[in-house]
Amino acid sequence: MADKETVIGLETRISGEVRGEEDLVVRGRIDGRVQITQTLTVEKGATVQAEVDVRHLVVSGTVVGAVVASESVKLTSTARVVGDLAAPRVMMEAGAAYRGRVDMGDIAAARAAVSSRAVQRSATGEKAAIRPAPPRMAMAAKAVIAGKVSVPVAPATPAVRQATSVAPATGAPGPASPPAFPRVAGAMGAMAPAWAKKKIRRR
Amino acid sequence: MGNTVIGSSIVIDGEITGEESLTILGTVKGKISVAQNLAVEAGATVEADVEAQTVTVSGRLTGNVVARERLELKPESKMVGDAKSPRIVIADGAGFKGNVDMDV
Repeated sequence: MADKETVIGLETRISGEVRGEEDLVVRGRIDGRVQITQTLTVEKGATVQAEVDVRHLVVSGTVVGAVVASESVKLTSTARVVGDLAAPRVMMEAGAAYRGRVDMGDIAAARAAVSSRAVQRSATGEKAAIRPAPPRMAMAAKAVIAGKVSVPVAPATPAVRQATSVAPATGAPGPASPPAFPRVAGAMGAMAPAWAKKKIRRR
Repeated sequence: MGNTVIGSSIVIDGEITGEESLTILGTVKGKISVAQNLAVEAGATVEADVEAQTVTVSGRLTGNVVARERLELKPESKMVGDAKSPRIVIADGAGFKGNVDMDV
């Protein structure tokens, strides 16, 4: 069958994961994750709040999230983009609004970083892809701040601050502490997201 | 035309909501809710609970369907799930397994 172009219309919203091997044009909204082996076009007025892994990305609308493009990223004059960009060719027209980090170097590493984050998230719950509103927001915030401080590590969101302030308390009692203490600490640890736990261990 | 088309190589895992028509040639898993027409074309696979004004199935659909106006299963289509709609058309050659509720 002759392929019709894939279009997400103006009044349509997808939350979850979109994968494919053809061009994708977004006029509406996608929240979640987009993995396309061809060109993703985000038209003016459209919003993509997602991890994006594509060959070419052309943005005239809004994109929030980490972007890996194996060939090129183009931000037109109406683009508004927040999040790290990794692509061998990155073009920005006058008028484009962008905040984040640009990496025109190691695309494979950037892709691995993005997909490992996705794996971490999917490990936290299978339903995440179906209704990912809170994780998505967290991801977006991460992308913003990671871009600003130019360190590809999760920033100190309130959850991390809470987790790290708990960490010394859990470490302090040591082996002599009453048995109830570590159990509470373990519960706190379990509540923290995976990347926050990693941060605790490092300190 | 502000309609949405999901191409044949596209796989969507999640939820699609919209105020317009949706044509699926690829694969959608999860949930679909559109204000107008949903067309599941030949070759398409939908594993989702579906709500739309009219639903036309030429491909495969697994899930419960609520069509506010009309559900049509074309020849060669396969549907498994409960169908709820005031008008249901099942063409000769269509495969269907599930409950039918025409609100009578």
